[in-house]
Amino acid sequence: MSNQNGSVFGLTFLCPILNDAAASPSHDLQIRDYLSTLDTRAGSPFAIAPGTHLARLAVMDDVIFVGSPAIEEHLQSKYLVFETNCDSDVDPYIRGLASAVPEHLDAVWQHCTGYPGAADATKLVAYMKACQIPTSFFFAAVNNKSVTQTLTALQTQQAVAHFIASHQGMEPAQLQREFLSFVQTLRALPCPAPCSIIPTGGPR
Amino acid sequence: MSNINGKLYAMNAITPMKPWKTRILRLIFFLLWHIKSKQADLIHLSFIQFARWVIIPRNRFPSLSSGQKQETLKYDYLLFFSNFNGTWNQYIDAFSDVLSDGLNLIWRWSEKFPGSVPVTGFKEYIARVQFDTDYYYTSYPQATANDTKAAHIVVAALDTLAAQAATQTPEQFHAAYLQFVLAAQANLGTLGDAPAVF
Amino acid sequence: MSKLNATDIQGFVLRGYNMPCARFCFLHFPDAKSARHLLGQLLPAVTTGQLWEGGKPQSTVNIAFTFKGLAALELPIATLISFPVEFQQGMKARANILGDTGKNAPEHWDELWREGHVHAWLAIHALTPAALDARHAELSALVTSTGVRLLDAQDAGSLVIDGQLTTKEHFGYTDGFGNPDYLGVCRSTQPGQGKLLPDGKTWAPLATGELLLGYADEAGELPVAPVPHILAANGTFMVYRKLHENVGTYRNFLNTWAARYGSSSDDAKEKLASKFIGRWRDGTPIESSPDAPDQAIVKDPNLNTDFTYGADASGSRCPIGAHVRRVHPRDAFGFNGKLVNRRRITRRGLPYGPYTPEPPDPNAPLTQSEIATLDSTDRGVVFMVLNACLSRQFEFVQQQWISYGNDAHLGNEKDLLLGTHKEGERFSIQGDATAANPPLFCTALPNFVELRGGDYFFLPSITALAMIARELVDPR
Repeated sequence: MSNQNGSVFGLTFLCPILNDAAASPSHDLQIRDYLSTLDTRAGSPFAIAPGTHLARLAVMDDVIFVGSPAIEEHLQSKYLVFETNCDSDVDPYIRGLASAVPEHLDAVWQHCTGYPGAADATKLVAYMKACQIPTSFFFAAVNNKSVTQTLTALQTQQAVAHFIASHQGMEPAQLQREFLSFVQTLRALPCPAPCSIIPTGGPR
Repeated sequence: MSNINGKLYAMNAITPMKPWKTRILRLIFFLLWHIKSKQADLIHLSFIQFARWVIIPRNRFPSLSSGQKQETLKYDYLLFFSNFNGTWNQYIDAFSDVLSDGLNLIWRWSEKFPGSVPVTGFKEYIARVQFDTDYYYTSYPQATANDTKAAHIVVAALDTLAAQAATQTPEQFHAAYLQFVLAAQANLGTLGDAPAVF
Repeated sequence: MSKLNATDIQGFVLRGYNMPCARFCFLHFPDAKSARHLLGQLLPAVTTGQLWEGGKPQSTVNIAFTFKGLAALELPIATLISFPVEFQQGMKARANILGDTGKNAPEHWDELWREGHVHAWLAIHALTPAALDARHAELSALVTSTGVRLLDAQDAGSLVIDGQLTTKEHFGYTDGFGNPDYLGVCRSTQPGQGKLLPDGKTWAPLATGELLLGYADEAGELPVAPVPHILAANGTFMVYRKLHENVGTYRNFLNTWAARYGSSSDDAKEKLASKFIGRWRDGTPIESSPDAPDQAIVKDPNLNTDFTYGADASGSRCPIGAHVRRVHPRDAFGFNGKLVNRRRITRRGLPYGPYTPEPPDPNAPLTQSEIATLDSTDRGVVFMVLNACLSRQFEFVQQQWISYGNDAHLGNEKDLLLGTHKEGERFSIQGDATAANPPLFCTALPNFVELRGGDYFFLPSITALAMIARELVDPR
């Protein structure tokens, strides 16, 4: 299934934007404006809702004219492109967004044709599926780790580097005791929140 | 700089294709998918976290309400979305240097594609067909594809050591610990900000 | 490819002169007329790339210009704006891109470079101090007579250690290996200096266009160059960086970590020093000879730079973050080295300042005061880079391979001796299970080298110099 590579999903949506000559600014500009101030780090809707590795939103104004002898043509509508690399397929993923960040979904997608609102998750999923384009080829460098597994791994990596560097030349019995204590502490740590700064100096 | 978040760059590109050529491209993607060795170079380049191609046939632009005008297009369109580490120039240089055959195989069906070698004309084409990202999110902005791969290696090495550590004698542990360090030693890079864009 | 006309290319580009003395003079042009007049007078003295059949001359002269210098020479505006943006901005404006932050930031540079008035680099290399002074006297009289200002001069010279002229720098490393071979440029090529062929072990020269403008480069095209073609051809871009070396910090760091690397015998210390760079301090590459230095390798041009990293993916022979492995990864990124071929640079340079020999007991710990004295002595390396494209070659290596570690899979780890280190950074030395080659992780990294200034220069051909002098540059 080309939307999936291992346990990661590459979902692509093209959502037609409302074409209302009376709107000023036009709906595509309003989307752009909202997105330009939206938090891209820990406060992002994709950080709050679970399961997004990487995602982007782009307003696609038109197709590109590459120059003669290619034919010049234009789209009738603009489209909001939503490309996401996530841990679940459309239904659970969209439901997750609807449940965690409905206000952000509404703020962006209210400018799109046929958008039913985030309140009714079933209708929202149906809308997204109508906008979904099958991914033709999906490449993932790491295709078998979830977001939480990745964040935990990064935390582990830094903690381990710090432990190794600060325990060089230690005599074996003490090293063993300290290692066991280190593992216990490390495993008790919660998974780091998305976009958090992972300290180089090991767990605090 | 909406195309960039931390160590990641989001590139979007759209190119037109004559519909009869789309069929060929679909076959190529099918073969690429099923012949894993062809993906080896992509994996080896190691600075792409996720990338995808999406073919939109000319009559398959989503049409949701009777109020929305239908698209009437002559071309199919190939969308490309990449999430990569490093600079725009570095990315395209690398592809042109080592993956030009693969690139040509995918993009030669797009109108006016000049070929991926030499690189200057290729960069001009990409600049023309690239469109900007309005919003880019990554859950781990301080980590590249290499960093995440290294982290998973370290986790595996740690788990191996931790499984035995409690029951070993100090001498046994010391030997196992050395093996653990050797397994992790090339994977302990620091995390942080990306270098300045240029 | 066309045969190179060595009489049209400045000698400094085509070969290192291997002269032990140098003085780099920095000029400011008060107006275009005096600048052109000086250039016209200097032309006959500029050393070309012609081979010296009758032995080396007593001294050589070369000249290069900053963007501000070219603007002061009043080249046509269309020509000026056709120069690459990084050259137009100059090195100071690119400090963030290059990682020249903290102590390396422009606000800490020598006044000469902070002020930004340097228009030209006038370089004199000489066989003896007397020859250097004589040439300098001649040239500075000429400069003064035209009204051009001599802002400052930087002396540099080979270090004399134990009475011998060496190619070492102040930390004790032997320098000068591994400059790239380019097609048509080098009389003889050395294995390891060019690019790897598909067989993974034979080396061929790099395309001429990686060094000289106007020739095909490794991407199979003419590199982006300013217009007109005749102004750019046979020219190149140069980076000039004055790198202060904190000798006390270095010796103290080495001693401290050598104690943790093994016994405090000299063996562990020299071995550790070799791990920082990737060569023993005598110049032996550790990839070829990991256990001990080997002068037989050093003295043989067919051996001293012929090695690859394919059999050392773990970094246990040469650490993945060692300097030579960072700046010339060879086959370490796979693809038979193709990702590396367009990132090569030619290095020139000489140390400056007095050499302080190691104390009688080199392992004795240094006091803070001794470290401070050693650090504050004005000495280091005058470092110059020649390349056809500043952003693709020097800037890329400086930013992505020295100030960063992602391509080497080392995250944000930096080159140990050259990187601008922040708190919390590490230097990983990979090892193996033998007692003589353990893994070691250095922390609390100080800054060993401090940038004291520099800039980007355009080094024109002899033809271009004449055209500039005679106001004959047309942008098309």
